[in-house]
Amino acid sequence: MNTMTDTKQTPWYFTPAVIIAAGCLVAIVNFGVRSSFGFFTAPISEAHGWPREIFSLGLALQNLLWGIATPIAGALADRYGAARVIIVGAIVYAVGVALMSISDTPFLFNMSAGIVVGIGIAMSSFGIVMAALGRIVPPEKRSWAFGIATASGSLGQFIFAPMGAALIAAYGWQTALLVLAASTLLIIVFALPLLVQNTSSSRVSKGEADITMRQAIGGAFGHGSYIMLVAGFFVCGFQLAFITVHLPPYLAEHGISKEFAGIAMSLIGLFNVVGSYMSGMIGGKYQKRFPLSAIYILRSLSIIGFVMLPITPVTTVIFTATMGLLWLSTVPLTMGLVVVMFGTRYMATLYGFVFLSHQLGSFFGVWLGGRLYDIYGNYDIVWWMSVALGLFAALINLPIREARAVKFAGA
Amino acid sequence: MMQGWSGHRLALTLFLTVLVAWLAIMAVLMHRASLPADATGPMLAVFEPGTSADDIFAKLTFAGATPVRQTAFGFIWVVTSEQPGLAGKLVQHGAIGAYRELPISPSLAGCFALADAKVTEYMGL
Repeated sequence: MNTMTDTKQTPWYFTPAVIIAAGCLVAIVNFGVRSSFGFFTAPISEAHGWPREIFSLGLALQNLLWGIATPIAGALADRYGAARVIIVGAIVYAVGVALMSISDTPFLFNMSAGIVVGIGIAMSSFGIVMAALGRIVPPEKRSWAFGIATASGSLGQFIFAPMGAALIAAYGWQTALLVLAASTLLIIVFALPLLVQNTSSSRVSKGEADITMRQAIGGAFGHGSYIMLVAGFFVCGFQLAFITVHLPPYLAEHGISKEFAGIAMSLIGLFNVVGSYMSGMIGGKYQKRFPLSAIYILRSLSIIGFVMLPITPVTTVIFTATMGLLWLSTVPLTMGLVVVMFGTRYMATLYGFVFLSHQLGSFFGVWLGGRLYDIYGNYDIVWWMSVALGLFAALINLPIREARAVKFAGA
Repeated sequence: MMQGWSGHRLALTLFLTVLVAWLAIMAVLMHRASLPADATGPMLAVFEPGTSADDIFAKLTFAGATPVRQTAFGFIWVVTSEQPGLAGKLVQHGAIGAYRELPISPSLAGCFALADAKVTEYMGL
């Protein structure tokens, strides 16, 4: 089934509200557990006598695997159903987190924290959840569903990070990891209502062409609007990762205390929940490329204002709150555009490739930020690069044709 | 289809339920994470939010703690002492609890865990 049309004889656990809530809970746990990993940097490194680079390399590998595995997980979800992939992913994720607690060599840590956890996150991530929700909810509610799923992921990070730190303080890092691994298994329970969406037994949706996955991938990469969307999402990753890593030292250079910077940056997380949700709502009412372009323009304007004005506590708070509203608000609109152009049948796969571009952008945002700082002794050039990239993303998203691609349109 | 329920109400109910459950879990975890009464050395002393700096300073002095610095949260102080039982004395003199570390650090919703790890490492209390 592709869309629920009658709830009269539907069991309560397959009703739309329960399915959407369940999908959101999957997103909360998936995004949440991984957000607490930063707190394990010191205890794990100290316990094994490792330099911090080993932990960082493990998480860098995790990001790489997450990006690479997302289109593959998406393809599996499109073929076998999102719930099944999420359930397998939850098990892989839990095994990886549990193995982190006993990985006492860099190799083992890279395998567990990097490769196994990275694959597990990809298979149970909100991209897969959104694909399930996209097929279950009617088109008029789809963008809202993407918004609430993204907001849930943001909320998960907001609540799980302090919980992970409290677990370490209460029980030690090894037990904390085992508790988090057990928490990850909750995803299995939360994913059960999503079993109502079973792609392998579904037929081609109305208005969609009956094409193979290979044809779908080829068709998407031959479609100019998809390439523009992929390019734009690279910028999103670049900006977010650069700001996350390099804003704290930038603020310190300008006399903002570490603790005030911490509070100000927490505003990003808080406002992000609101921004993601609102973005989903807006995407359901207007053509998606316009708000998407507006987000990139507003990001650029925010950065211009921030770097041009004197850095004070007030400007810092205004900047972080504004960036919070614009943080993951690109996700519901981007996913929405994938569905508009290519339909729901291969949406997880095709969003996966867009997300891979985001992860590559993240890598360059972190790496170039540090590299150019080392060369020039300040962040100015990277801030202005972020502004230019934001304007580029805004411009490149505007010509996107918000209509079904010809190869994907049914007769 | 899907008539009879409000999306916004669902979102609000879901998020509030999650936050309430989270607060309950955090309350238990924070209680378990507090230092035993005989602990000493550098630690974070947490007082009721809204307690004045003068009041906190007096309480720290009575507890035999040496204030190291006040954190950005005015009711949380970094203190130390070489005398045994500092954690217990702090609680006796009005602190909510004493902790080695507190789970206060920004964690941003992004898709790049390495970035999260770096910022957490940089900004932890």
